[in-house]
Amino acid sequence: MRLLLVEDEDLLRAQLVKALEDGGYIVDSSQDGELGLFQASEFSYDAAIIDLGLPKLSGIDLIKAIREAGKVFPILILTARDKWTDKVEGLEAGADDYVVKPFQIEEIKARLNALLRRAAGFAKPVLEFAEISLDTSAKTLSVAGEEIELTAYEYKVLEYLMLHPGQVVSKMELTEHLYDQDYDRDSNVLEVFIRRLRQKLDPDETLKPIDTVRGQGYRFNVPPKNQA
Amino acid sequence: MSLPKTKHKYSLQQRLVLAFGILLILFLSLTGLVLDQAYKQSVEAAVEERLQLQIYALLGVAEPDFDGSFFVPDLEEARFNQLDSGLYAFILDENGHEVWRSSSSLNINLAQLNLLLLDIEPGLTVFGNAENELQGPMSYAAYGTYWANLDRIFNFVVMESVAPTEAEIREFQSSLWLWLGGLAVFLSLAQFMLLRWGMTPLKQLAGELTDIETGKKEQLGEDYPSELQALSQNMNMLIKSERQRQSRYRSTLGDLAHSLKTPLAVISGIVQQKKRVNKNDLADVAEQVERMNQIVSYQLGRAVQSDQKRVLASPVAVEPVIKKLGDALHKVYLDKQVNLVIQLETESFFYGEESDLTELLGNLMDNAFKYCNETVHVSAREEDRKLMINIEDDGSGVPEKQRHWVLERGARADTHHSGQGIGLAVALEIIGSYGGELKIASSALGGASMQVIISRN
Repeated sequence: MRLLLVEDEDLLRAQLVKALEDGGYIVDSSQDGELGLFQASEFSYDAAIIDLGLPKLSGIDLIKAIREAGKVFPILILTARDKWTDKVEGLEAGADDYVVKPFQIEEIKARLNALLRRAAGFAKPVLEFAEISLDTSAKTLSVAGEEIELTAYEYKVLEYLMLHPGQVVSKMELTEHLYDQDYDRDSNVLEVFIRRLRQKLDPDETLKPIDTVRGQGYRFNVPPKNQA
Repeated sequence: MSLPKTKHKYSLQQRLVLAFGILLILFLSLTGLVLDQAYKQSVEAAVEERLQLQIYALLGVAEPDFDGSFFVPDLEEARFNQLDSGLYAFILDENGHEVWRSSSSLNINLAQLNLLLLDIEPGLTVFGNAENELQGPMSYAAYGTYWANLDRIFNFVVMESVAPTEAEIREFQSSLWLWLGGLAVFLSLAQFMLLRWGMTPLKQLAGELTDIETGKKEQLGEDYPSELQALSQNMNMLIKSERQRQSRYRSTLGDLAHSLKTPLAVISGIVQQKKRVNKNDLADVAEQVERMNQIVSYQLGRAVQSDQKRVLASPVAVEPVIKKLGDALHKVYLDKQVNLVIQLETESFFYGEESDLTELLGNLMDNAFKYCNETVHVSAREEDRKLMINIEDDGSGVPEKQRHWVLERGARADTHHSGQGIGLAVALEIIGSYGGELKIASSALGGASMQVIISRN
């Protein structure tokens, strides 16, 4: 998951970047509103965290500009102002949730998770497809009730695919959203992850949860349990 | 509150003096001119009437002879008989020949008067002015009359010297302008006194404001005229609310400083006493930091909130605020799919700051969204100048034993149990500042019912 973080406080930005990267996100950060808007329009993000008090372009104006540019990714507001008037203004401008400073890093992660999940159309933190269930808050996978160990990268790949069920996700898209820009984009690595995921999810090769669409990418094709 | 030292073009007093002065001069000069003209006209009319009467008197006694000469017995008017008396009479024939003159007019040179060939239609009187070397300017009246038995026309002329009437007019004029001048002086003085008297309350106001500024006085006095009473009362309210705000800031600052000291002491204790900090200590520090955060939020909320409910209070429609908050909360609690029902029996208004209403309802509705299962009802109505807003949910409600404790006024943030949140405390604080009350009850939906009642003053 690639995130955009716009925060002008250097220390806080560094803390957040570190915490989010530790949590498995790819983070692009900028220290003012104008740079933030440039990044939001140039790159493809899964979510953004935006501080309201920003230099050059205020957080509210940045959110409005992002929404006017047709970007629909979820936006989480960071604000030191905890008055309802301010919260309502931010949410009306197009943000989806807010966190009041000071905050616990864990809270930001939880809110982000919820936003990403909701943006993909899931109402609950556990994504359930037939026997497969992925708990996005605990970051655990279970198949037929049995917990299965995943490495951080395997989890990221699977979560991204499961948040876009039935859609063909290109290797390029996966790489962009799951790895840092300077990461060596050797597609073999992805293939290795996919192969390992297939083995872990479906050792008997009865379910075949991940299709390879030749020349285009991968698709998670298990029908959702009940309704998503 | 020091007054800006900008120089205004004219003071109020200057404006009034100037306007009234110009008006006075215009009024008095016009009055003078009109009176002067009227007097002159009436004097002239009187002269003409007098001359006419003399002509009739003359006509009454004049007896013509067959040869055209006239016999005129002694006239009643003595001045005709006295030489150069200023009243003169002639009778001229149609050829301009003099046929008779009064004894008073023996010195008059008729040739100088251009009266000899006056062509007057019989029965008419002609008025005019003429001048003679010796007698000076004169007014005359000439009357043409046809004598049937002689078959001739004669002109009867009566003249009067202008000097006495002009003297009369001059005398009138000088006394007229003297009186008007006196009146101007008197009115100016009266105006000055009236202005001073009328401006006294304003001067008093300015003086009292200075006294308040320098701390000699607390409030403006009560004894202002009705026009200024609204101003002085509003000013007093403003001063009072400003004072209250100041004292609230002071007490908030004091509370803030004091209540932050306890958690700071705990943290400083951990840092100073322990050589090595372990996980439990970090948890303690985190707890104290959270406590400090709550204290800061609560006290800031108290300080920022307005107390202008009576001064300059404008009505804020309740419905849009509820809807706005509802939209925002739907976004935040998207996972819960809360069913929000808004019921407004009448169009309701809140008399105060919109930010206060938003903050108050935001906190209460946030709690309802947080604790509900799936339904939140918000209803509002106005009754007997009372605004009633009821926020209900279908959650587990507030146990009766806890209600009193929850509502306890002045419960400070640093005495709140963790997890209690400061939303309700802030809401209570706002309701309190508007002199309202919050009632907690059980809702028909199954959860809590929070009823806000605020009277409009």
